[in-house]
Amino acid sequence: MPIAMPPTPNKEDIQATWSFLQFGVEKIMRNLREGVDMQTYMGIYTAVHNFCTSQKAVQSQSGGGIIGANAHRGANLLGEDLYQNLKVYLKAHLKLIHEQSKGHSDEALLTFYIKEWDRYTTAAKYINHLFRYLNRHWVKREIDEGKKDVYDVYTLHLVEWREELFEKVSTNVMAAVLKMVEKQRNGETIEQAQIKSIVDSFVSLGLDENDSSKSTLEVYRYHFERPFIDATRTYYQNESAQFVAENSVVEYMKKAENRLDEEKNRVGLYLHQDIMNTLMKTCLQVLVTDHSTLLRDEFQSLLDMDRQDDLARMYRLLARIIDGLEPLKTKFEAHVRKSGLANVEKYAAEENVEPKVYVDSLLEIHTQYAKLVEDAFGGESEFVRSLDNACKEFVNRNKICKTGTTKSPELLAKYTDNLLKRSGKSAEEADLEVSLTQVMTVFKYIEDKDVFQKFYSRMLAKRLVHASSASEDAETSMISKLKEACGYEYTNKLQRMFQDMQTSKDLNSSYKEWQARILDEEDLKKAVDPTYSILGTGFWPLSAPTTTFIPPNEIVKTYKRFESFYCEKHSGRRLTWLWQLSKGEVKTNYLKSKPPYTFMVSTYQIGILMLFNDAETVTYEDAQKATTLTAEFLDPSLAVFVKAKVLNVSPENGKPEPGTSYSLNYAFKSKKIKVNLNIAVKSEQKQETEETHKTIEEDRKLLIQSAIVRIMKSRKKMKHVHLMQETLLQLSARFQPKPADIKKSIDQLIEKEYLERLEDDELGYLA
Amino acid sequence: MSAPSMIKLQSSDAAEITVEREIAERSVLIKNMMEDVGEQAFSEAIPIPNVNEAVLNKVIEWCTHHRADPPSTNDDDSDSRKKTTDIEEWDQKFMQVDQEMLFEIILAANYLDIKPLLDVGCKTVANMIKGKSPEEIRKTFNIQNDFTPEEEDQIRRENEWAEDR
Repeated sequence: MPIAMPPTPNKEDIQATWSFLQFGVEKIMRNLREGVDMQTYMGIYTAVHNFCTSQKAVQSQSGGGIIGANAHRGANLLGEDLYQNLKVYLKAHLKLIHEQSKGHSDEALLTFYIKEWDRYTTAAKYINHLFRYLNRHWVKREIDEGKKDVYDVYTLHLVEWREELFEKVSTNVMAAVLKMVEKQRNGETIEQAQIKSIVDSFVSLGLDENDSSKSTLEVYRYHFERPFIDATRTYYQNESAQFVAENSVVEYMKKAENRLDEEKNRVGLYLHQDIMNTLMKTCLQVLVTDHSTLLRDEFQSLLDMDRQDDLARMYRLLARIIDGLEPLKTKFEAHVRKSGLANVEKYAAEENVEPKVYVDSLLEIHTQYAKLVEDAFGGESEFVRSLDNACKEFVNRNKICKTGTTKSPELLAKYTDNLLKRSGKSAEEADLEVSLTQVMTVFKYIEDKDVFQKFYSRMLAKRLVHASSASEDAETSMISKLKEACGYEYTNKLQRMFQDMQTSKDLNSSYKEWQARILDEEDLKKAVDPTYSILGTGFWPLSAPTTTFIPPNEIVKTYKRFESFYCEKHSGRRLTWLWQLSKGEVKTNYLKSKPPYTFMVSTYQIGILMLFNDAETVTYEDAQKATTLTAEFLDPSLAVFVKAKVLNVSPENGKPEPGTSYSLNYAFKSKKIKVNLNIAVKSEQKQETEETHKTIEEDRKLLIQSAIVRIMKSRKKMKHVHLMQETLLQLSARFQPKPADIKKSIDQLIEKEYLERLEDDELGYLA
Repeated sequence: MSAPSMIKLQSSDAAEITVEREIAERSVLIKNMMEDVGEQAFSEAIPIPNVNEAVLNKVIEWCTHHRADPPSTNDDDSDSRKKTTDIEEWDQKFMQVDQEMLFEIILAANYLDIKPLLDVGCKTVANMIKGKSPEEIRKTFNIQNDFTPEEEDQIRRENEWAEDR
């Protein structure tokens, strides 16, 4: 035992008791590292206990009269004298430390403060235990009775530290802390643990005035956080201003991002978590918001150079500040639109552009920027929307679409047709599916979805009638994609077309059975082997032939027989023969080739070829008379024969016109046994396209009218303006109707008495 | 867990009592001291200057029986504990000692900071008072009536509200 304890004092003598206690307390404060011996420990505790339980005070109190208004009934708790003495001692002790602290500055001050703080708080924990009896009784009673300035012994230590030392040195301590942090920001290594200790100390001093068992961060916030944030702001204001002046924006973004990460890590390393929000906010303000104009100005050139990493970095930085990205979205949208238009012009500017080239030129830009949005902009929905807007613009309005927004859907439909049509190099099923998905990507942006539908259904009809689909699965897949995008109504007719083909298949087999039953052998031998497709008038985009035609005798019997079979089965139905879509095969017995050539030809062409069964030479007039075909169909059919050298023409190079005559070319030769002569003529295709466009206008009028009627039927009454808006909205999924057209339709409906004009610009529905 | 570590307590009348650390630490005073002093508490007897051997043994007996009690909730204002004067059977038997010893146990519990034992002691005393007239109470605790009749009258009036009738 280094120093002998004085003997245990008389428990009723405050002077003696205190000087005994002070000796022990001082020993703990000063020499705790040497440890406390048990005798001292128990001695102090016992002295506190004995003093607080001594009878003297109680007696003196009761002497004052037990009935006195202020007197406690029962045991009076002693201890105030001890408490006050302890307080006086602490004040004196801390004053001494304050004096010592004056000899230190900067890091030495930090070291001193931390050392003293550790020593003091450790001692406080011991003293708190030793004075536990005081805490349990006198202090507890005082606090229960609402005394504000009485604390448990440990808290008393903190309160005194705060008042006697902290208030006086905190500014200097903080200055030292900030100096260290600045050093670290400048790249030097510092003793981080010291700052952490300071933070902990400041936080510990946050005592709730109303409840000493709780703590607040107020002291810490005022004395640490506030100056720390101020210093951070100043530091980065200076640094960023200088850096920007000397480096590129791209370099600055890297710097800023690093700094933000660094500061975030700093919180975890040695700051209090509470500072995170304020610190990040401050850094973002100084490093990003204050330079946001500069960053945004760089956006365009980064886009132009396709600098994905830098774009991503810019996105990350600006995404963290309020409204940081707003201006970028507009720029991005404009850029994508411009790129789209440029790409179309670059690859697909010719008048008769290949559908594939055109669609690819659209897809290329979409793919490129969809990837950019995904990779650099985190797939953020606002950028996705900008991308969509831009794509919508350049898909519907580019150089190819000079004539109007109907060009894109037409080309897209043609592209789809090419994909789905059987061809020499038919794609793998999986590749085809990918291509169809891409079609849908473009389709999504098409405004005139009705135009696509029109072209698509015509081409589908041809694929079905001519059995030229590459894959039934692909057809079904495409239909379901369209259905998913536009709903049941959009694909209804397309699906009916598939059904008709199925029904026709069944019908053909039952017809074959029927035929086998009623025909004798002779008839069977002569009969041609036919296949029929029964196509519902309403669902197929097909119309009756525009030319008269007398079918050759050879097939008359056959098709008449089918007619009677069909009408027997479905009485009341009328069959219209679509000769322009019919075709057949003709075997050549007049040529010496073995096996004989087979010509694949249209029914019109059969009509012409059959004439040569009866005559060596057929004049143009003969052909016209026999088939009654109009020149529009007769001329190209003949031309194909001449071109393929099936027929000789006289005079040589004679045009198909009256005066020209044709004879069989017995010297016909071909590499293939089957010769396809059923070749659609260019002009025919073009005409069809024009026709399709024409019907679109008609259909749109109907669509507008039916939309208006639908709306009015449910609303009964509506303002003209609102009806216009609602109609526009409902139809925009299909196409963008012109307001003038809607107005016209409304007028027509009023004329037809579906609607009536009411007062105040209102319209009413007439059931 | 290894063999229970034993410590020695030294009563005011210089008797040394060996006890398991866990049991002794029912006393918050001893528990805190063990933490604060460390090593020395294992090698030397811990002086307990305010408690004599007889009482200390009694206290240790109680602590041994209650060694596994869950630590009482720190919030000693929990109403149920304060209001009820129910005492579990073992404790009742434990407290069947002469008045002198009873008060010594209460004082020791207060000094050693063993809250549950202090509670039991006080409840026992409370039960001794319950239902008795002032005269009977004076008799029980051998208290001399030093009130003047006037004083007594006034007290009775003031406490009328508490009369059980």
